[in-house]
Amino acid sequence: MKAEYYVRETASNLGRNITITLASVMTVAVSLALVGASLMLRSGVENATRRWQGGIEFVIFMQRDPSPAQVESLRGDLEQSPEVASVRFVDKKEAYEEFKSLFADSPELVDSIDADTLPPSFRVEPVNKEVDAVEALGNTYAAKSGVARVVFASKTIRLIQQLSSRLTVGIFVIAAFLLGAAGLLILNTIRMAMFARRREIEVMKLVGATNWFIRVPFMLEGLMQGLIGAFLAIAALAAFKPFFQKWLPNSRDIPLVSGFQVSSGEMIFIFGTLGVVGILIGAIGAGIAVSRFLDV
Amino acid sequence: MIKIENVTKSYKSSTVALRDANVEISKGEFVFLVGASGSGKSTFIRLLNKEETPDAGRIFVAGKDIGQLSSWKVPYLRRNIGCVFQDFKLLPTKTVFENVAFALEVIGRPRSVIDAQVPAILDLVGLAHKSSNFPNELSGGEQQRVSVARAFVNRPLILLADEPTGNLDPATSVGIMRLLDRINKTGTTVVMATHDRGIVDTMRRRVIELDRGSIVRDQSRGVYE
Repeated sequence: MKAEYYVRETASNLGRNITITLASVMTVAVSLALVGASLMLRSGVENATRRWQGGIEFVIFMQRDPSPAQVESLRGDLEQSPEVASVRFVDKKEAYEEFKSLFADSPELVDSIDADTLPPSFRVEPVNKEVDAVEALGNTYAAKSGVARVVFASKTIRLIQQLSSRLTVGIFVIAAFLLGAAGLLILNTIRMAMFARRREIEVMKLVGATNWFIRVPFMLEGLMQGLIGAFLAIAALAAFKPFFQKWLPNSRDIPLVSGFQVSSGEMIFIFGTLGVVGILIGAIGAGIAVSRFLDV
Repeated sequence: MIKIENVTKSYKSSTVALRDANVEISKGEFVFLVGASGSGKSTFIRLLNKEETPDAGRIFVAGKDIGQLSSWKVPYLRRNIGCVFQDFKLLPTKTVFENVAFALEVIGRPRSVIDAQVPAILDLVGLAHKSSNFPNELSGGEQQRVSVARAFVNRPLILLADEPTGNLDPATSVGIMRLLDRINKTGTTVVMATHDRGIVDTMRRRVIELDRGSIVRDQSRGVYE
């Protein structure tokens, strides 16, 4: 009985102001799509440049099976060098785990490589991060015994990281404003719905309907607007994902780990975030409208 | 049933709507509130279902001090009090049946109860044949009957009527008064604010007269003045 009433009232509220309802739903959808796109960009860049995070400027790849003595001697050199700020050793097993998590969506790729294929490496953060100084320092290790090759973070990678972090911040700011607008639109839609129903509300109070009974359809209306908006944003991002992953060709010139991969786990997290934010925006807009303009 | 103790109520514009009022109304009584416009009749009625709260004094309805009632319990108080107004307050987009059913629906009564009680009450007010008409297809008197049906369908203990005949011609008013009288005979306490001298003088029930917020007369089997 109650559920039937709530569904009927909420549906008729949503239909009554269809144009302004669409305006709020679309604003929620666009702002959440922006939030989602910037989260995808961040994951993509993070995954593509995972080796190069935390100030790592070059990686010393060992030969596939260095002797423990070779590894220890290089580690000693690196740790004692005053020019090295920090160093981290990634053994074969860890390299394989990292590879597996990055390419979790491409099991054929993971299968083509076994735990023994990937070489161990040292990830080095130098004190001085000037390009010339980094190269000079890195090259001093190239000739050490057991070392296969030294790979530097190129300017391209630094540029991608910088661009993506600034872009992410920029998009978030725009999205925050849009979300605010969406919240206000929802608030006003619900205020209008309450105005359209002021006679019903007056009668409901007179005959003793409980406050929550009067409020619930309006709360649900706001929630539905947020939820439908989030759903549209999620659908748009799911359709957009394949194009996004082809943006950066997996070029040999740039020492990226991969192209812009966003794993399904990360996508689920992003979609979940969007759903929650959509519901929150709807609930906040409706909650304010109900508590300020519904004098029960 | 209703007890008002030393109740004072004034509004912002410093007009005193009710001054140190003391009234006791027993179960099953029929009481007229008379007095000029602005004498405090409507305030009296609005205090009883807690649409207003008094500045001082205590009000008991059905044995409960309603000043102590927390706001979430007010709806349950109102389920025991039916209200009828001069302007009917019917919903224009709902039929007669739906208007009455609405009062039961929004307090969570099941469909089976609604389907049993609404036709019965429409029969009582003599509008069974118009149950699928809309309010704008009815005369003023018929609309007021619908409004009485809606107020009474939940069988409240008390019926409050604020000038229910204010918009009706004398002949139609008589019909409404007969209806209220029948409802009163079922044991429902009726409190009615009115300007209608003819009605008060024919019915000869208890009369409480207000003058600028003070109770100046309380007379059983009284007349308008």
